[in-house]
Amino acid sequence: MGVMEQQVAARSPLIALLGNPNCGKTALFNRLTGARQKVANYAGVTIERKEGSFTSPAGRALRVLDLPGAYSLSAQTPDEAITRDVVAGLRAGEAAPDAVVCVVNATNLRLNLRLVLEIQRLGLPMLLALNMVDVAKKRGIEIDTAKLAQELGMPVVETVAIQTGGEQALLDALDRMALAPATPNSLDSIDAVPVEQTQREVRRILAACTSHAHDTGNLSEQIDHVVLHPVIGPVVLAALMFVIFQAVFSWAEAPMDFITGSVESIGAWIGGAMPEGPLRSLIVDGIIAGVGGVLVFLPQILILFFFILILEDCGYLPRAAFLLDRMMGGVGLSGRAFIPLLSSFACAIPGVMAARTIQNPRDRLVTIMIAPLMTCSARLPVYALIIAAFIPAREIGMFNLQGLVLFALYALGIVSAMGVAWYMKRRSGGGQHPLLLELPAYHWPHLQTLALGLWERAKIFLTRVGTLILTLMVLLWFLSSFPGAPEGATQPPIYYSVAGMLGRALAVIFEPIGFGWQICIALVPGMAAREVAVGALGTVYALSGSGDEVANTLGPLIAGSWSLATALSLLAWYVYAPQCIATLSVVRRETGSAKYAWMMAGYMFALAYTASFITYRVALYLGAG
Amino acid sequence: MTLVPTLTTLDALKAGQSATVIHLAPHALGGQDVARRLMELGFVPGERIRMLKRGLPGGPVAVKVGESTFALRKFEAALVSIQPE
Repeated sequence: MGVMEQQVAARSPLIALLGNPNCGKTALFNRLTGARQKVANYAGVTIERKEGSFTSPAGRALRVLDLPGAYSLSAQTPDEAITRDVVAGLRAGEAAPDAVVCVVNATNLRLNLRLVLEIQRLGLPMLLALNMVDVAKKRGIEIDTAKLAQELGMPVVETVAIQTGGEQALLDALDRMALAPATPNSLDSIDAVPVEQTQREVRRILAACTSHAHDTGNLSEQIDHVVLHPVIGPVVLAALMFVIFQAVFSWAEAPMDFITGSVESIGAWIGGAMPEGPLRSLIVDGIIAGVGGVLVFLPQILILFFFILILEDCGYLPRAAFLLDRMMGGVGLSGRAFIPLLSSFACAIPGVMAARTIQNPRDRLVTIMIAPLMTCSARLPVYALIIAAFIPAREIGMFNLQGLVLFALYALGIVSAMGVAWYMKRRSGGGQHPLLLELPAYHWPHLQTLALGLWERAKIFLTRVGTLILTLMVLLWFLSSFPGAPEGATQPPIYYSVAGMLGRALAVIFEPIGFGWQICIALVPGMAAREVAVGALGTVYALSGSGDEVANTLGPLIAGSWSLATALSLLAWYVYAPQCIATLSVVRRETGSAKYAWMMAGYMFALAYTASFITYRVALYLGAG
Repeated sequence: MTLVPTLTTLDALKAGQSATVIHLAPHALGGQDVARRLMELGFVPGERIRMLKRGLPGGPVAVKVGESTFALRKFEAALVSIQPE
């Protein structure tokens, strides 16, 4: 035995879970592994690689890989290409699995079995997990598993992934399998058989092994008659969105106050315990205040994803994509772009990452490019500050003027995004792209999936806060603290720092749109996270205190020193606000190229400047100077 | 004498109407073989399908094939030649 073989033998056997999308594969993976999961990306691409481990009843340690869902191994999408390459042992850095567990949806064997027959041609040790048998039985679908096992020539077990113990039969069957490293056949063996012939074989097996008593009323279809209705459907969707937005902003209030409060008291505590000096300033003003300022968005992000995960799990999201495809197709987007764009209202970072679900590369790029135009919650503190200071709380009909302005800012972002998408479609001149979207049967959301999904989101966000954002905060602190103010300084210390110098230099560029040097200085630290601009304005106007205190005293102060035209111009600026380094760095990572990050920064800056210029000049003309 | 329904394409099928797939027009788009993909989703000659729901005019349609439902854009549906029942 060579060294290589010894190493392979020493690893625990690897089992690959493979199946169609919507077959309950991930639920089964969660059931097998619990929280013992490692989520990373496949090398060089942004497709999630989920590996977990568990111990079988016989005490065998097993590793399990949850492969991306696939309809076929002929691989029409990047996800399917990964699945094909991993299972065929062709992907660099990935060992071929020792066994393949094919997960099929028992209520939909006609679609699922075709993939099973394809994989079978690879000649790997295989096992069929007949998932969702409970639903199949309820629907009157009888499957003769013994006969099916005989027809397919592989063990067949029944599983119910969403039930505790529903994986038992699979575990027992795995223990009966001899697991030794196997070499898969060449992929050519799959394409050698035409799809029609495979389908004939599926029909033959189905006729031999299943009987379908008359389907007594399909609930999913009945729901779809309402949800996909051309008139009622969009009304239901709009109502759902309204509830979600309400929840994101109202439910998050208490936990956000709690985080802000905790961060402030930790800062005060450390501040009190440390001697005055640059180190204390770095820790309290730079790290704690900076990181806290981003951390505060965690509740909103989690609440938004709570709803997105529920809607996804129960099967509603593809329906939303169906309803919106006509409208979004008009500007060259796919209905699938709905989910990333919805996430972007909390924060563009998860939005850009969610664009992974869009298969067409051009559609995906357009979605990523317009995601930051959705008004993220980090812009809210800035909007809130300026609106409260400059817009009178007057009633107009049944609406409040302040609320109307806020709504207009959101709407302006959406309209601009549609315009940019339309322009990109015109530029690329691409024709129509296929939608080919499955509308899976509805089912109740599953708690374990929901909890693990939320945990995953929180982990991703916190990792970013702990690494990139932390680094940026420290950097910005240095920029705005050094060099210190000279003796007998008449301006706040930040005026003399590198950030201050930058801000004053920028004032030349921003003077035509009404920004004084104070605003320009605040824009510099605002690059790390937009809402930091509020705190920075506080620093510029030499206010002490933090958080709400600053916002409350800052309002009257800027109301006295800025013109209305300047305030409106700054609002218009923040609709586009290109200065979010965290978003740009995610764009660079997700598109695999710095080019698109620069393009995004460039076009958003141009839009922001133009919009502010027009706003400022029109406001001046109307006498708001 | 029974009237033999004429062949048509899936995008013309009325909501609630069933049909049998006869043929798929080859259509390659940006390296993606749309016809092959449609077959992989179950739109194989000989399979029965049903128009579940039509969305807004010009928008996608929801088609039942076997036990699955797929949303197809109009041009995708137009690739599928069918024999309505």
